[in-house]
Parts: sequence; structure tokens; C-alpha cells
Amino acid sequence: MSRAAAPLQWLTMGLLAVGLLGLSPALSLSLLAFGLAVLTALKLREARRIEERRVVALLQLVCAGLLAALRPELGPSLLQGLAILMALAGLLALELGAGPDWKALLRRSLQVLLAALPIALVLFLLLPRLTPFSNLGTGHGMGAVTGLSDSMEPGSIAKLSVSREAAARVAFPLGGGPPPLEQRYWRVLVHERFDGRSWRSAEPPFARPAAGQPTPAPPPPAPGEGIQLWLTEPSGLSTVPWSGAGRPLSADLNLQRSGELLNRAPGSQRRVYALTRTAEPGDWRSVPPGPSDLLLPRGENPKLEALAGEWRRLGSERERLNAAGSWFRAQPFRYSLEPGALPRQAPLDHFLFETRLGFCGHYASAFTTLMRAAGVPARVVSGYRGGQWVQPVGGTGYIDLRQADAHAWSEVWLQGEGWRRVDPTAWADGDPLASATAGAGSLAGAGGPWDWLQQQWWGLDIAWARWWLGYDSEQQQALVARLLGKQRHLLGLVVLLAVAISLAASLGGLGWLGRRRSGDPLRLELERTLRAFARQGMAPQAGETLAGFAQRLTRRWPELAGPLGDFVEQYQGQRFASTPSRSGRREAQRLGRVLRRSLNTGIQSKEAVQRVDR
Amino acid sequence: MISAIGEVLLGKEHQVRLALACLLARGHLLIEDLPGMGKTTLAEALARSFGLGFKRVSFTSDLLPADLTGLNVFDPAAASFHFQPGPLFSQVLLADEINRASPRTQSALLEAMAAGRVSVDGTSHPLPRPFLVIATQNGLDQGGTSALPESQLDRFLMRLSLGYPPRQAERALLQGEGLRPDGITHAFGPDDLLQLQERCDRQHCSGALLDYVLDLLERSRRQPFQGHPLSPRAGLALVAAARAWSLLEGRDHVIPDDVQAVLAAVCEHRMDGGQRGDTDRELSQRLQEGVDGLR
Repeated sequence: MSRAAAPLQWLTMGLLAVGLLGLSPALSLSLLAFGLAVLTALKLREARRIEERRVVALLQLVCAGLLAALRPELGPSLLQGLAILMALAGLLALELGAGPDWKALLRRSLQVLLAALPIALVLFLLLPRLTPFSNLGTGHGMGAVTGLSDSMEPGSIAKLSVSREAAARVAFPLGGGPPPLEQRYWRVLVHERFDGRSWRSAEPPFARPAAGQPTPAPPPPAPGEGIQLWLTEPSGLSTVPWSGAGRPLSADLNLQRSGELLNRAPGSQRRVYALTRTAEPGDWRSVPPGPSDLLLPRGENPKLEALAGEWRRLGSERERLNAAGSWFRAQPFRYSLEPGALPRQAPLDHFLFETRLGFCGHYASAFTTLMRAAGVPARVVSGYRGGQWVQPVGGTGYIDLRQADAHAWSEVWLQGEGWRRVDPTAWADGDPLASATAGAGSLAGAGGPWDWLQQQWWGLDIAWARWWLGYDSEQQQALVARLLGKQRHLLGLVVLLAVAISLAASLGGLGWLGRRRSGDPLRLELERTLRAFARQGMAPQAGETLAGFAQRLTRRWPELAGPLGDFVEQYQGQRFASTPSRSGRREAQRLGRVLRRSLNTGIQSKEAVQRVDR
Repeated sequence: MISAIGEVLLGKEHQVRLALACLLARGHLLIEDLPGMGKTTLAEALARSFGLGFKRVSFTSDLLPADLTGLNVFDPAAASFHFQPGPLFSQVLLADEINRASPRTQSALLEAMAAGRVSVDGTSHPLPRPFLVIATQNGLDQGGTSALPESQLDRFLMRLSLGYPPRQAERALLQGEGLRPDGITHAFGPDDLLQLQERCDRQHCSGALLDYVLDLLERSRRQPFQGHPLSPRAGLALVAAARAWSLLEGRDHVIPDDVQAVLAAVCEHRMDGGQRGDTDRELSQRLQEGVDGLR
């Protein structure tokens, strides 16, 4: 047992502990992983004999496996990989005795891991997949931070507007590029209940399907359909952002009639999900408004109601909308993050006719109320607007949404068209997005080198989500169908065969590594040369030295005496003299090549002569 | 110099070289052969070519240790004992027919060979340097001999067998073209020999070469192998002899060919336990073939 065994095993415990820290206690399996880790640590503390240490190494590997099932994202996966590497190195330290040092142990451990890659790949690609454990959990969010909340009261977003905190990333892996800036509205919540001050979501928001109840898997995207791949940071919300067009590709996402995307996994976790990407408006757009979309507390804002009363006289809803638009544009509204508090009495009147200073919440709230007062069904939608287009080095581009990009806008119901998005903030003077470019479409502003690094990391994260997490059972079925066609019943056999082949390849690779370690470039050069002679029927005899063999070769091919002598001399000089050097080794390799070439050309010319003679 | 000795010992260049290598490696030489093959001539030629003092002792069954080492004799004039050195105190000692002597005498000689000193009556007397014992042994089955035990065979760096000269050389010999040993004019002195011996120690043995030697040793210790396993001392002897050989080859480092050149001479008598096989290098040949020489 090497002296490095105990430190390596404790190091593994530390890495596992760090991995456990990121687990959400809401998941039932988290407790199991936590308990297992504690047991392993206790066992490690009392372990003295090598058998006990082996058990500890095994427990550590099981623990890492459990963690991998619970946290499949890129960052945790790297941590788990490191933990497994250390656990294997600890095991190797137990088995290999006192010989190898840390570096050798880690290298061996890495080799073992790499050798396991082929079989892992086969299992990943072909073995029937389990549903991700992360979807089995139940429980409530931990009160995560977000720029959005179920209830929106103008002013609540003000303090978040300066937050550079990450909110979500969306990538479009199948190409198509980023949508133009004016279309970057990412819906999260719909607020339709207004009490004069705050906007709330419909209550109860949604019929939440029972957890664990099997949901039919959504059909995979049709060929040619784009994809939007979302990675969201934890939020306390039960809905997740999306573009408003497309259809969810994950079974645990439900598209609501209001146009919200309901997430059945706990909102306290990071989430990865995909939707198709189309230009078609979603079905939710033509769902007619309910009575609540016209409700407003009467008499609270008399001036507002008076203004809206004028528009009520206009014939169609579209004309009322246009009138409101031109009224807003004519008034000196200004955008500000610090508008000050509005009075309790007639807050919207105060905003519309006196301060005319506010941010998106104010505008969306006031405009929606105006529309309702004018008899046009309207509601407030909150989500994110804009986002910075990031092109990571060598990766898929994505839109980086920060909490500063949180936004609220209005939707009005137009007969014959459906719900139309209206962003009254855009009419105000100094709307920051109006002056933004597509590249820097974020209100968060430019970040430092740390942000750049983080964005590169997110790029990797997205690639990971796309290729690793995104490989679900549908894609697997598609792959199997492509591979086997009608012979699907042979799948088991194919899996067995592939496992056997990859196992053999791994063992062969390890064996090759073992052999290669004992040989050096000089030795390989000699072996190459010997093979070249063996092809001509000259092999060294038992126990023969290079010099002796070279003598025999010279007798057979006197014309090779020159290059043969040079090579042997250089080789032996490098091998046995006191000062071998890198350049000397290169020279030996060069002479070996010269020798092989002259062997081949000599034999060819001899054959040619023989042909001519015949 | 080899050619000079070679003129004395016609047609035996390889054996002369080996004997010279043995001298350079500070080892002792056992020559085993029939009478009249030139054993004494070789020993004398070696000694003369370096200008070394040369003595010869014919071992008989009644030879006592004191006859070799010398003894304290009473000097009546000084009224005290003083040490009278025996024939051991020479630079080259030819011990003829060593197997005829009693084991006790043999043992005294071998201890002197190993230790480089002689103890008589509690006083130790250093032997001259360089010190080389060339022992000869008659291979024929003869009465009244006690063969050297294996442990003592081990002390000889090499065992040589001269064998019959080739026909051409024998013809020259009969024609009287051979040189008498006393006709050799020595070009080197004893100091030159000491210097050469030191140079031998500096001959470079690379790791790859030591691996080869170790493989040879291990092969001899692993079954199936008919001979006696080689001792670590045998390994030391092999490396020392190979170093001397490489010096004679004009190289500053040792290659496997050097090891193979001295393998039979150094190892055969350690492996066959003094019992000669049908051919005199059968075991070492087998050993050499059992280990990959391409390093």
C-alpha cells in the first residue's frame, strides 16, 4: 500500500463533499447521496487494513456515480470526473504497492479512465436510458433570486435592473443565427389580475400535474425545424422563459393557454430544456381573452379613465391601440431607473400626467390599464428583453440574459389577429434598448475579463447540454433506428457485441500503454528496422546481439554495409555510451530510416535486374 | 601486444585476449587442459609482456600451505624470527596442476587470491600488486587429485581451455616459427598494467547493458536451466571481464557483444560445477540464447 493512498482517498472525500454542496435537498436522492458520503468518510476514518480501504474506494465510486446521476451539468460533471480520478488513483495506490509516486498514480488513473471511455460511449449511445433523476424530485423552491416574480408592482424591478446576475442562456444549435434585436422578447410570466397597484398571475396559476405521473414524450423535432436550447439559473418561478414560438421537446414542460411555459421540475434548480424554433406564432396567441383581461378597479385613476374614455369612442380595437400609441409618443415620457415612488392615491394618473418618468413596469402597467379602460383586452407580460449575443471561442453562439434584462411589456387582444405584443417602454425617451446594438443587446453593460471567462464557460456549458444532456431517449431511438433499420430486435446482441469490442479495445490499449512505457523511441526505431529486415527473411537468432546480427546482414547484403554500420554504431553509441543525447537519438532514427530505405531500394533494384535478365 | 603473445602461442588469439582481459580485470585465471597444450607458455608470456615477476609452483599432494606463503624462520644472528616470503609473493604465479594439492593448500592459495594478503603467525603481509594467479588443472581423470569445490571455482574470474591449435598454426609450430616466451621484449611495465586496470573500472556500463547482464543472471536462476545458478559474484565478474574486453576492443563503453565474448570463460565453470560437459561452452551458449541480446 503506497503512502499516497490515504491522502488521495481523503482528497476524493473532499471533492465529493464539494459536489454534495451543490445538491438540492428537494431531491429525495440527495439524502441518499449525502448519507452514503458520510458513511464513506466514517469508514475511511477507521480503515486500517487494505481490504477496508478497497471498500472505501468502491463506496467513493458509487457516491460519485450517484452524484453524476443527480447533477449532470458540465461543472458538476467535471468535479465528479476529478473525484473519480482521485478515487481510482487511491485504489491504484492500494494495489500497486509503494512504488509509484503521485504523478505516476494520477497518470495511471487517467489511463484507466480513458480506457473506460469506449465502453462508456457504447453504453451512453445504446443502452436504454433512464429518466433523469433530477426530474423525480418534488418540493418547493428555495426562494431563489430573480428579476421576476409572480406579482409585479412597478418599482419591484427597479432594484434588479442593475443586477448583472446571470438569468438564462439560449442557444440555437441548429443554426439560424440570433433573432433580430427587436424580436428578442422572452416570455416568462403573464399577469392578468390587477388590483390598482400590483399585477398578479391568474389564480390558481395552472393545474399542476401530479409529479411522477407519466407524460407522453413529445414528438422529436421535424427535420428542418430549428431548436432553442435553454439553460436557466435557479429561480423561484414555476415557469421558464421561451421565445413564444415553438413547442417544448421535454416531457416535463407544459405549454399553458396563456403562453407561459410551465416547468414541472423544481424552480430552485438549474434547468436545461429545449423547444423547437419556428417563425409561426404559437397557438396561445389565438386563445381568446377571458373576462379577467378587461378587469380593472374603477375610479382609482380618474384621469386615465377619462383619457381612455375618449378612445373608447373609436370603432375598432386597432384604432384605439394606434391612438394610444400616438398619445404616448406625443407625451414627453422619459425612461428612468429611479423614478421615485408613486403616491398611493391614483398612482397611474400621477405617472401618466405628472412625472412621466419610469421604467418598463410603469409603462406596461399604465398602458395595459389604459387599454382595459378603453375596452381592449390587455395583460402584462414579464420576462426578458434583448440579451447579449455571445460567440464563444470555437463554440455555438448564444444569447446571454442577465437579471438586468428583466422586462415587462403588454399584450393586447386584437380581433382577427389575436394577442399582439406592445412594448410601451419603446415609446419613451431614453429607452436603453433603442440605442443598443444587436451584439450588446443587454442592459447589463459590458463586463470585465471575468465576464468574458464566464461567457466562454457558458459556451462550453451549452455544448455540453446539447451533446450530453440533450441526448435523450428519442435521439437514442433515432440512432438505433438509423443503425439497425428493421433489425431492431438485434439491439441486445449489438449492445453486447459493442461492449465486448470496446472492452477488448480498452484492455488492448492499456496493454499497449504498458508495453510502450518500457520502450523508448530509440528502441522503437530498432524494432522498426528489425521488422524491415524480418520482411526480407532475416531475423535475429536467439541471443544474438545487434553487432552480430549486423554482421550476418552484411554477409547477405554487402551493399548495405555502409548504412548498416552507421546505424549500428550510432545506435550502440546512444544505447551504451556514457553520454546519450536527444540529437544523437534523432541521428540514430535518421540513420535507421536511411538504412530501411536503402534496404528497400536495393531489393527493388535487384528484383528489377532479375526481371530484365529474364 | 596481443600479437606478440600470439606469436608465442600460435593460433590462440581469442584465448590470449581473454587471458589479457582477465589480467586487466584483476581476476585470476584457471586454465584447464591436457598437458602440452601451452598453458605454461601462456602464463609466462603474459607475465613477460608486462615485465612482471613470474614464479611457478608445481602443486603436489604433499605441498603445504607454508610452502606457498613462506614462513617465519629463526635468524640466529639477530636472535629473532623473520619472515621468509614464499612463491606467492610474486606478481604472476603459475600454480601448476592445482588439483593435485591437498584441499588445505588449495584453500590457502585461494584465500590469498581473494584477499590480496597472506597471514602468517598472526602477521599479515600484503601481496605485490598487480597479483595474478594462473592455475592450471589437468582435465584427465587421474588418481590422487582433489578437484576444486564449486565455491573455490567461483574465485577464478575465468576458466579457459586452450585446445588444439589449428593445423596451420601447428605446422608453423613444428617448423619452429613460434617465439619462446623469453624472447618477448616487454613494452609495458607493471605501472602501465595498474593504469590499464584503473581504466577498466571507468569503462561505462549503461543501464541497458546492466539490464542485459541482470537478465542473464536471472535466466540462469530460473527453471528450466540445467546449470548451477549464477551468484552475484558471478555478475560482478561478468561485468568486470566485459569492461576489460571492451577496453581491449578500443571502446570506452561496454556493449552486449563484450559480455557475450567473455560469457563462456567467466560463467561456464560457475555453472557446470567443475564437471565439464561435452563441449566446453554448452551451458553458457544456452544461457546466451535464452536472453534477448538485441538491446
